[in-house]
Amino acid sequence: MATIVAAPASSRSVRERRWRILRRAARARLAPFGAAVMLLAVTVALLAPVVAPYNPLKQNLDRTLSRPDRVHLLGTDNVGRDVLSRVIFGTRVSLAAGFGSVVIAVLAGGLLGLLAGYAGGRVDGLVMRMMDAVLSFPPLVLALALGAVLGAGLTGVVIALAVVYTPTFARLMRGQVLTITAREYVDAARALGAPGWRIAWTHVLPNATAPIVVQASLSVAFAILAEASLSFLGLGIQPPAASWGSMINAGRGYLQQAPWIVFGPGAALFITVVGLNFVGDAVRDALDPRLRA
Amino acid sequence: MGLLILRRLVATIPVLLLVTAGVFALIHLTPGDPIDAMMAESVDDSVKRELRQTLGLDRPLHLQYATWMGRLLRGDLGRSIRNQEPVIENVARRIKPSLQLAGLAMAISLLVATPIGILSAARRNSTLDRFGTSFALFGICMPNFLIALLLIFLFGVTLRWLPISGYVDPMEELWDGLRSLALPAITLGLALAAVITRTLRSSMLEALSEDYIRTARAKGLSDGAVIRRHALKNALIPVVTVLGLQLGTLIGGAVITEYVFALPGVGRLVVDAVFARDYPLVQGVVLLIAVGFILSNLMVDLLYGWIDPRIRHR
Repeated sequence: MATIVAAPASSRSVRERRWRILRRAARARLAPFGAAVMLLAVTVALLAPVVAPYNPLKQNLDRTLSRPDRVHLLGTDNVGRDVLSRVIFGTRVSLAAGFGSVVIAVLAGGLLGLLAGYAGGRVDGLVMRMMDAVLSFPPLVLALALGAVLGAGLTGVVIALAVVYTPTFARLMRGQVLTITAREYVDAARALGAPGWRIAWTHVLPNATAPIVVQASLSVAFAILAEASLSFLGLGIQPPAASWGSMINAGRGYLQQAPWIVFGPGAALFITVVGLNFVGDAVRDALDPRLRA
Repeated sequence: MGLLILRRLVATIPVLLLVTAGVFALIHLTPGDPIDAMMAESVDDSVKRELRQTLGLDRPLHLQYATWMGRLLRGDLGRSIRNQEPVIENVARRIKPSLQLAGLAMAISLLVATPIGILSAARRNSTLDRFGTSFALFGICMPNFLIALLLIFLFGVTLRWLPISGYVDPMEELWDGLRSLALPAITLGLALAAVITRTLRSSMLEALSEDYIRTARAKGLSDGAVIRRHALKNALIPVVTVLGLQLGTLIGGAVITEYVFALPGVGRLVVDAVFARDYPLVQGVVLLIAVGFILSNLMVDLLYGWIDPRIRHR
């Protein structure tokens, strides 16, 4: 009977807590703008073939370097491809790289941090020194070197960025594990004979997620910037496929005649990163325990 | 202090060992045969065999690592497979423009960020503060290459005030040298300035709310004196932390900036080596950059001890 009564009460309190967090996130002044940008970017990425006015790969040599007008809202590039359509398809690459690399980094880093914090001793020492070693490389240089050996393309870039971001999440998770396992409710669970994996799954993980989510939401924006930088250098998705970074690199040779080739993808990149930063800040404000009432 | 330096140096040894292992492993992460990746298909098999022997790739992995580490300890970082020059000589030739760029960028960032950060905090919620926070947001969200292209478009293409590529050594021709480094240094400096502005503003706000500031004001000190003598000194500690944390971003930014402005620095060397698939050169330069990064972080760590005695005595 007690269980029957307790279950709806606890699910209601969880719902209320989630609602409170959401309201707190929405209260951040610029969060609605960030959320709108993110929603727009995701929608555009998913519906790219539907919303793009032209085929992003189709060349039209009669209309090369044409100014933005009603037919081509963001103009055309040096081989007459529609810049807007390429920006729209580029959204897919940027979001896939940003979210993909951070999701892999959260999983890998979370697991390594959990292992290090839980096992302690030599395992902890080895895992964390490995993470320190990865952090000893300037992020872009490491991503560049890894991208070079893994080969140009989206997969190589996603893996390279995931490696770069993994130590941040491993450190964060380890710190959380050490804090949480020292709490009394974990001692109580241990005293009741709960096995290690169950304590990790039911007590440590749910309580450690808040800072991980905050860090992940802030990391996506930087991962998108890093992907654009690698694509700009020529390591990302290969031409003729469109990515914002590679479009900007291709357009820099035409800066004088056709600056719109650079400004279209540049504006898309900047607005997306600003929007994601606002969302990240709002998530941090909502989940940061120091700000909780 | 000596003991602190020694302790820190000893602590970096295992990390350095793992870094070397990581750099050694780079070449083996290549999907397929690294020799095939480095050389075109048309290259004769005997040439490929010779390179494989020169790099020791025909030997067992543990022996390769032992030989590579042995060479490393003797200061031999290997040779470029393109120009056959030792990695050290390649880097030595390119280090000057990179250091000049980093120094100028750092100076520009401090010159821009210090007044904006201080004024933003001192005049909180004013128009000036909104400008300061918008500037910081702009700098943080804007990738280096986009700032570079905007500056090229404005000062190089439209106004034609500054050269958009090439390098002249300021030690030989001061004016032309500074002009050639101006746009790259502003590009790199603005990104760094944004981060410093944000940190300085928040640390100044924190410092300005402390009791000792109220006491200083109660003594009748002017706003300027309170900020200069009391708030700023304490607010600078987090700025040093951020400068240390931003070293990696600065190096990454230098790679992009040198690439865009065709500066013959170490960053450009990395990009060229990556695209030439010159893996021994990539390994050598990446290792040197990582070691430089570790040592710079160590210096920043020691700097805290000098700035903040509480850390030294801990």
